[in-house]
Amino acid sequence: MRSDSHPVHGDPRLSRFDPMERVIYFDDFDQGMNGWTCLVGNYQDSLDTMTTSYARHTQPMLSQVTHWDSGTHGSFDGTYALKIATRPVAGERNTAIKRVTFRKASRIRVETYFACKPEANELKLSDKDVRAFGVLFDLQDREQRVMPHLRYLNTLNGERRHQWQFKQRTTPFRAIGGSEIVTHDHLSPEDWEDVPGGQQNLCYNEIPTKINWHYLRFDFDLVNMCWLGFQCNDLVLDPSGLESIKMPAMANLDCMLNLAFFCESNTAKRTFFYLDSVLLSGDF
Amino acid sequence: MATLRNTYTAVIARGERWTGQVYTEPYEAAWASEAVFFIHLMPDSMPPSGTAVARVQISPDGLHWVNEGTEFELPTVPDTVSFGRVLNFGGWLRLAVAVPNSCEFKVVATLSLKA
Repeated sequence: MRSDSHPVHGDPRLSRFDPMERVIYFDDFDQGMNGWTCLVGNYQDSLDTMTTSYARHTQPMLSQVTHWDSGTHGSFDGTYALKIATRPVAGERNTAIKRVTFRKASRIRVETYFACKPEANELKLSDKDVRAFGVLFDLQDREQRVMPHLRYLNTLNGERRHQWQFKQRTTPFRAIGGSEIVTHDHLSPEDWEDVPGGQQNLCYNEIPTKINWHYLRFDFDLVNMCWLGFQCNDLVLDPSGLESIKMPAMANLDCMLNLAFFCESNTAKRTFFYLDSVLLSGDF
Repeated sequence: MATLRNTYTAVIARGERWTGQVYTEPYEAAWASEAVFFIHLMPDSMPPSGTAVARVQISPDGLHWVNEGTEFELPTVPDTVSFGRVLNFGGWLRLAVAVPNSCEFKVVATLSLKA
């Protein structure tokens, strides 16, 4: 791994990434959904037992990023990007998730090229219509379940924030239907904390239909279950003070390595979070 | 070895109770050349007191919608399924469903896509 130089890759599609030694998966959404799906909530006997915020989640899709005024924008290196879209309701969120397990506890790194825009249904700048977007891991070793969360808070209460945040608390567990299944809303709006030094302006551009792809890297240590830092474009932050949601290990989740992306709307307008590609690597 | 055709099934309504005028969220599927909408009336539904028709709508931009021409009735017997097939639909798909206000359909609706 040479994060400060330009690696020479046999596959030129990898030359804009800095993967660790082993590529666990490299999902280019020009090839299909690659195992990315909808994050549904837990339930028992009836879908009505699902936590409402999870029941609202919808399926991700493959978008060619087409707009009414300029036609198809396309993705970073092709036609299609993974699209996560909220419903047109203020405070809505949506997610996409990929579920695997780890065969060796190591350092891991997720990298993506992303864009996040509101639905272009008004001839306005609309930059305050997106509340937030982010990424999270859902992990478990033999002792604990660990859920590092990272989001970019674009707008809150009508004010531009442009602030990276993390989270170390979730909602209380709720048993579902008297069963062993429990649920909690780790993506609830509460308990987000500012990342020190995490103020960053992104390239929103000047109208909702112009998008620019951004680079995001997020490193985590599965051995010590701790943050290793993250990077968005030219902002590189160390892990000082960054913590994760943690809880005792739960049944049936051994070696879980789930990765999810999410976005949140700020107004009654859909928020669209596009991922050109996702690369997960590890140093083993 | 032959390349398999890409396919994906999206759940576009999960246990929702449909009454009145309903539009499913826009779904982008320009990569697919064929689609089948399924509507499953859930087993724990009460048999609806009336009937309803789902109309497929398409859009050039995800903002402006028009009836595609395909329409099909929702199932009225719990735990049964109805469907509608669509071809040549461009980039976006959704369902427009007009349910009488006195009526409720608790459904799982899916969109099965194939390249």
